[in-house]
Amino acid sequence: MNFIKGFFGFTVGSLRVVLKGTGAYYAWMALLFVLMAVGGAAYLAQFSEGLGVTNLKDQLSWGFYIGNFAFLVGVAAAAVVLVIPAYVYGWKPTKEVVLLGELMAVAAIVMCMLFVTVDVGRPEMVWHMMPFIGTPNFPFSMLTWDVLVLSAYLAVNLFVVTYLTYTSYLGRPYNARLVLPIVFLSIPLAIGIHTVTAFLFVALPARPFWHGAILAPRFIASAFCSGPALLLLIFMVLRKVGAFKIRDEALVKVGELMAYAMAVNLFLLGTEVFKELYYPTAHSIHAEFQWFGIEEHGGGHHVGLAAWAWMALSFNLTAFVLLAVPAFRHKTSLLTLGCVLAFCGVYIEKGMGLLLPGMTPGVLGEIYEYAPSATEIAVGVGIWGTGALLFTLMVKVTMAINDGEFRRKSPA
Amino acid sequence: METPVPESPDGEPPGGYTPPPHQPLIWGLLGTVALLVVAGTTMRLAQNPDAPRPANVLRALPDDGKATLADEPEMDDEYDPCSDCHEDEETNFTVREMDEEHDELEFKHGTTWCLDCHDIEDRDYLHLAGGTKVDFDDTSTLCGQCHGAKIPDWKAGIHGKRTGHWRGDKTYQPCISCHDPHVPGFEPVKPEAPPERPTLIGAEDHHAPEAAEVDAPEKGAGDE
Amino acid sequence: MSSDSKRASRREFFKVLGAGAATAAVTAPTAALGFDLDTFFQKHFRRMDDDELQAVIERKAAEYAKTYGKEFTVKATPAYEDVLFGYGLDISRCIGCRRCVHACVEENNQSRDPEIQWIRVLEFERESAIRGIDLEAGNPYYDPETVPQKDKFYMPIACMQCEDSPCTNVCPTGATWRSNDGIVVIDYDWCIGCRYCMAACPYGARHFNWKEPTLPADEVNTNIHLLGNAPRKKGVVEKCHWCIHRTREGKYPACLEACPVGARKFGNLLDPDSEIRQIMATKRTFVLKSELGTNPKFFYFFGGAER
Repeated sequence: MNFIKGFFGFTVGSLRVVLKGTGAYYAWMALLFVLMAVGGAAYLAQFSEGLGVTNLKDQLSWGFYIGNFAFLVGVAAAAVVLVIPAYVYGWKPTKEVVLLGELMAVAAIVMCMLFVTVDVGRPEMVWHMMPFIGTPNFPFSMLTWDVLVLSAYLAVNLFVVTYLTYTSYLGRPYNARLVLPIVFLSIPLAIGIHTVTAFLFVALPARPFWHGAILAPRFIASAFCSGPALLLLIFMVLRKVGAFKIRDEALVKVGELMAYAMAVNLFLLGTEVFKELYYPTAHSIHAEFQWFGIEEHGGGHHVGLAAWAWMALSFNLTAFVLLAVPAFRHKTSLLTLGCVLAFCGVYIEKGMGLLLPGMTPGVLGEIYEYAPSATEIAVGVGIWGTGALLFTLMVKVTMAINDGEFRRKSPA
Repeated sequence: METPVPESPDGEPPGGYTPPPHQPLIWGLLGTVALLVVAGTTMRLAQNPDAPRPANVLRALPDDGKATLADEPEMDDEYDPCSDCHEDEETNFTVREMDEEHDELEFKHGTTWCLDCHDIEDRDYLHLAGGTKVDFDDTSTLCGQCHGAKIPDWKAGIHGKRTGHWRGDKTYQPCISCHDPHVPGFEPVKPEAPPERPTLIGAEDHHAPEAAEVDAPEKGAGDE
Repeated sequence: MSSDSKRASRREFFKVLGAGAATAAVTAPTAALGFDLDTFFQKHFRRMDDDELQAVIERKAAEYAKTYGKEFTVKATPAYEDVLFGYGLDISRCIGCRRCVHACVEENNQSRDPEIQWIRVLEFERESAIRGIDLEAGNPYYDPETVPQKDKFYMPIACMQCEDSPCTNVCPTGATWRSNDGIVVIDYDWCIGCRYCMAACPYGARHFNWKEPTLPADEVNTNIHLLGNAPRKKGVVEKCHWCIHRTREGKYPACLEACPVGARKFGNLLDPDSEIRQIMATKRTFVLKSELGTNPKFFYFFGGAER
């Protein structure tokens, strides 16, 4: 009873916390609501008319939504992996780093699930995939594995976050023996979710661009660039608004780890390039389309993706240099730039840069130059807004608890 | 004339042979006539479409019971029966193009000409190279003479169209249902409409017919 | 698979005529809300027992009658025993006329707008086949005055009904599966439209209803099989099913009957006397993308041209 009363107080109190803030906070929240409204309206149109409001076709049936999904799974995975260095390098504040990482993971997973939901033709029937009430094609379908591990990951992270936050609110110490094993469980789960998501694509021999074992390691490597990049940027923002104190050394350390991850990412890209260029086969046409564009039989030159591919590569290379060279890394402005470039580079490379070459040319050799429609982009923006909102709300509450502002009032 | 028969000591003829008594001439004549009538009837019957025929001559491709051969296409009344005109005509053996009668007929069948298939004596029949007559309701036998390599495929249903049931009654076609015997090659046909090309929402289809009309090789993809 | 054979032994020839208005009255109350509970909670085809299936058939017949104003024959005919279907395509004969494409559209109640076509005919230049059949070189949009064009050949492509189909493997809900007679079927009411199967199919055989399909009432085919040519709705995947409503009653598929040059052959691979077995025994057959191990049941062959 006490627990329920306490939790009720926690919920009501949280509401009060999130409704109070600085002018910048209100502006940020207003922006997010606008984005969500735009996305919501766009999705309503899609739900009523069908996925024909996107630019997806039979020839290219997965695009913007699944690209975002693949990217965000990486972000979700990597957020939690910072737990290891936090402990190994003895960061203070370790707990906050872990907590923020988990919060970002929760927000990212929610965004992943939203992106998949908006991509599905009949979202009201998704229960067909659930055990007991539905008929999941487990263990053959990688999608069932993905739902399983993503749900498990979300559950684990939500539990840890709620437990840590609630015990702080109560002013009680957390039970390390309960929490730490679960936190450490989330690490292999993190690797697991991203490997399973990669396997979603690797499992398709019909798509030679994806049908290679290296896709799973590439996913992990690029995730370790994008996830920490976003987290670092968030740390810097929070530090600036005074909600969170973290030393430069900790940020720089993360930057260094990102440099290693980017090195691996670039190396793995190099191995793929060697494979395609040394002795091109018919399957190399996908990479050719991505980097150089291709001539269609009978005329018509398709260059759609080349600019994006080279741009992403230059972002990644620049980010690597900025993060690898200590002198650059130690300058906050360059560290920030490196993070932004890494995030954007991986977003392009792993989002559309993964989906579109995989499906262009199509299985019957047809080239359809897809670009997301306005509706798709609106829905996507709405989902990012939703994730950002969720994250902001959770951070606001967490920070308030951390600062001691938001504590349970002991009964008189 | 009488052959003197030597007397034997015991009265029996030598070798046990007793010549038959004389037959009257009339029986010989009747027998010959009867023989001629039977021979003639048999030959005539062999040419009668309604009478049963020897299987190895005219029905070289028996039904195996697995599929039903459809009826032959109807012949044009104007030309049926052919003997109406040709009975009294003298045969002109010169290989030539028809420029009087049958001049409206297009003919493109390799190096053959009319009398290679149409019977020389009786135009109500076709004929094989050796002279054996082939009926107009059994034309595939004639086609098979030269295009025999096709016959097993045709009987098996690999060549030619079948309709009906894969399990149950199925019908296959005589050769001339699809191949006009005078112009057996298929004429090209107009194809049905191509599928729509996928286009971005709001974008124009740059492969649309107006663009393809400009006959430049670098425009459009495969519309030429 | 076992439920298929159980069904086969229980009801050999299962055919029900729709009831019509009477049944519609039962579903009217919830339908008035624009939301039908029976439809929403309809079970997976393979999990339904006879009574449930019967109820679904009656409900659907009533729905279709209401939508199209015609009486429908709705079936769920099970597979014949000892039948494995095979299809042969004589590429020395195909002239690229696309009569099969449109016969299929009419027979199978495909959406006219947006246009859905289950058969795609690729035109190749003979020269391009020097390096083997390269699908990159195939053009589905050819539109000359007449076909066949000189120095070109034509290959129609549709679902290969693969024995080791990648699509059935990846479907998260099990909405698509391979039947006992080899036909890969889709339970349209169970499909959630995730399109993973479309990503997995190497032949581009699967098609999605990106919008609500348009099917004019005067063009609808009322002789339907639930797993075949039943009218679909937006958000689900569909594909060729070898005219399951015909072939499971011994008839040839519509595309075969439409072909003017007899390039299409169909039958039971387990029957040595069938046309398709004779083709396998006497002709050179090949399948597309054999290196992927899909083990298709649609075979291309050369019947032999005189020229």
